Amino acid sequence: MESLLVHVDPLTPAHTVNEASDLFLKEDYQRFLCLPVVDDGRPVGTVSRSDLQKIFMSRYGRELLGDKEVIRVMNPKPLVIDVDMPMDRASQFVADNIRFPITEDFVLVREGIYQGVGYVIDLLRAMERQLDQRNGELASAYHRLQSSQSQLVQSEKMASLGQMVAGVAHEINTPLGYVRNNLGLAREMFDQTLGMVRTYEDFLALLTSGLADEETVQSRLASIMAAKEAFEASYSAEDVGVLFEDTDYGIGQISEIVLNLKNFSRLDQAPVDNVDLNECLDSALLIARNVLKHKAEVIKAYGRLPRVSCAPSQINQVFLNLLTNAAQAIETQGRILVKTYADEHYVHAIVQDTGKGIAAEDLKRIFDPFFTTKGIGEGTGLGLSIAYQILQAHKGHIRVASEVGAGTKFCVSLPHGRTLQ
Amino acid sequence: MNAIAMERTPATQAPVTDKPTILFVDDEERILRSLRMMFAQQYNVRITTSGREALDMLRRERIHALISDQRMPIMLGVDLLRQAREVSPNTMRLLLTGYSDMEAVMGSINEGEIFRYISKPWNPADIRTTIGSAVEIAIGLESAVTGAAGADDGAAAERILVIDADPEVAGQIKSLLDEHSPGRHKIEWAPDVESVFRILERTEVALVISDVRLGDADVSELLKLLKRHNPHVVALVLTHYQDSATLVGLINQAQIHRFLLKPIRRNLTLRGIESGLERYRACKAAPQLAQRHKVDASPAPADTPAARRIVDFFKAFGRKAN
Repeated sequence: MESLLVHVDPLTPAHTVNEASDLFLKEDYQRFLCLPVVDDGRPVGTVSRSDLQKIFMSRYGRELLGDKEVIRVMNPKPLVIDVDMPMDRASQFVADNIRFPITEDFVLVREGIYQGVGYVIDLLRAMERQLDQRNGELASAYHRLQSSQSQLVQSEKMASLGQMVAGVAHEINTPLGYVRNNLGLAREMFDQTLGMVRTYEDFLALLTSGLADEETVQSRLASIMAAKEAFEASYSAEDVGVLFEDTDYGIGQISEIVLNLKNFSRLDQAPVDNVDLNECLDSALLIARNVLKHKAEVIKAYGRLPRVSCAPSQINQVFLNLLTNAAQAIETQGRILVKTYADEHYVHAIVQDTGKGIAAEDLKRIFDPFFTTKGIGEGTGLGLSIAYQILQAHKGHIRVASEVGAGTKFCVSLPHGRTLQ
Repeated sequence: MNAIAMERTPATQAPVTDKPTILFVDDEERILRSLRMMFAQQYNVRITTSGREALDMLRRERIHALISDQRMPIMLGVDLLRQAREVSPNTMRLLLTGYSDMEAVMGSINEGEIFRYISKPWNPADIRTTIGSAVEIAIGLESAVTGAAGADDGAAAERILVIDADPEVAGQIKSLLDEHSPGRHKIEWAPDVESVFRILERTEVALVISDVRLGDADVSELLKLLKRHNPHVVALVLTHYQDSATLVGLINQAQIHRFLLKPIRRNLTLRGIESGLERYRACKAAPQLAQRHKVDASPAPADTPAARRIVDFFKAFGRKAN
């Protein structure tokens, strides 16, 4: 409140009404609505411009009261505020006690001792500035919150993407390893084969030249036979056949993984499409294969499904999340059931594991953002809350049932919008 | 020796069965087939998809090198390598894997004590060289004297050099050892590269316990060069820093004996130091054994004044040591 303090020499109880009104007429008193009356350092009241006007406007007012002491006409209960009072409390106090129309300002004291006066209008302006500032702070806090939330969603996406990329890289590295090696072997074999062909050609040239005697032909033939034996000893035709078969298989594997990555991300396809959820599940299963293959036997029980209008890349993300969670819930070795069916209004996809299960108190919070039972760095706690949001946006739902020690079952349901028999 | 036997074993050309034997373990048969075809001319190649069968083979016959994948069902590569170390210590152990998670790489050092870490997909020429040198070393080991070597003969105290910017670390290690075996070790502390040089110039060090970073400086290059020029020294890494690529470099080019994470854990550290010193003594007694931990030349370090200084130092140091 100190910033609002205006110093002014106060009236004493002995000042007369005339003297007070003379002061109000002075140039530098123009702004004052009232003047404080201070006795022995403490404010005892205020004399307001409007009170004096009332006196002088009434008949014989000046004659009756003009030379009387101000103490007779003052307001003995002025608004008194301590300069150390916080702005918002002071303004609350003023708002609660002020009389309308506003004819008075307030008196400022420190520990009861008069300091000066403050204008009500200044207080209002200060309050407005403070409100503006707080609004600004709130707006920027809200903005920060919003952007940090989108950052978190982004980091969850990046985390699952990173996991996926690492898994896929490993899936590709294995066939790439033997394909590359086989190619190197094939090149060596080709070089040796080429060497053999040259040997034969030279021999043929010798035979057709008509210059060779029998002895030369015999010795060349012997060395060719030796080279042929060495060549056949190093590679059998059967081995080479297998080598090419394996290479073809490896290339096929890599193509399949890449095609599947494309299908999974659907970057080159319509964001919203009519899709078969069985295909989405297959796509997610392939992407998650690296995580699943040493952990779980996957049992598929797909029903015939009507197509569903949805954003397949988002639904794929949900399925991948559920499959990864299922694999993580299995401590050593287990089973994952992936089942689909349709009813009158919905298509349902179930992912059920034989993992460690979720405790009842955790189950309640499982879709809450940031709730995670995984260790630091293993999960952001956003996967399932994002899954929940995705399903809500699709007017579908996701439900969970779990039993500690037995496993967990998630059911994703999406409306198909057609009537089934 | 009779004449027939003489004829059967001509000195110049070894019979086919005397080819060194190498064993590949991977859960992908196509990888095994490809590698077998690649190495069949030079070696007897054994392949299996099962870690258990691999251990049986190691018990049954002399195998010079074991090359295993990490991620396999039933038995992980690291577990296989650890057991292989017990069953057949003179078999060189290599990890061939496309999956380098921190835990696996750490296990391959601390439990598997592997010779090399090869990443999938591999370079055919490189894998030939790597397996070739592993086999060569294994053959050399056959003639190495083992047994009594490695025992603590109670001679002069062995020097341990702690390279760490934090003085606490050297202090902690000192008090660990004082409590465990008073008077057996001398601890030197090097807070920076300069001090490492000063200490190495002055005295012989048996064991180095080092962080990967000294302030901003990367110490792994220093360790690699140290091991190259002084293969007897055993290096332990003690750090907060976890990066599997750095670690792979420290296996292949520095043959670090243990990788320990800070904060210091008493038993692990003591065991690491003990077994490191045993290795130092064994290699001292039978220098062929040091071959087991031969390192690859690291690719030329970044050409900075600091890096050049380190290289120059070790060049001079190597000349002096020999």
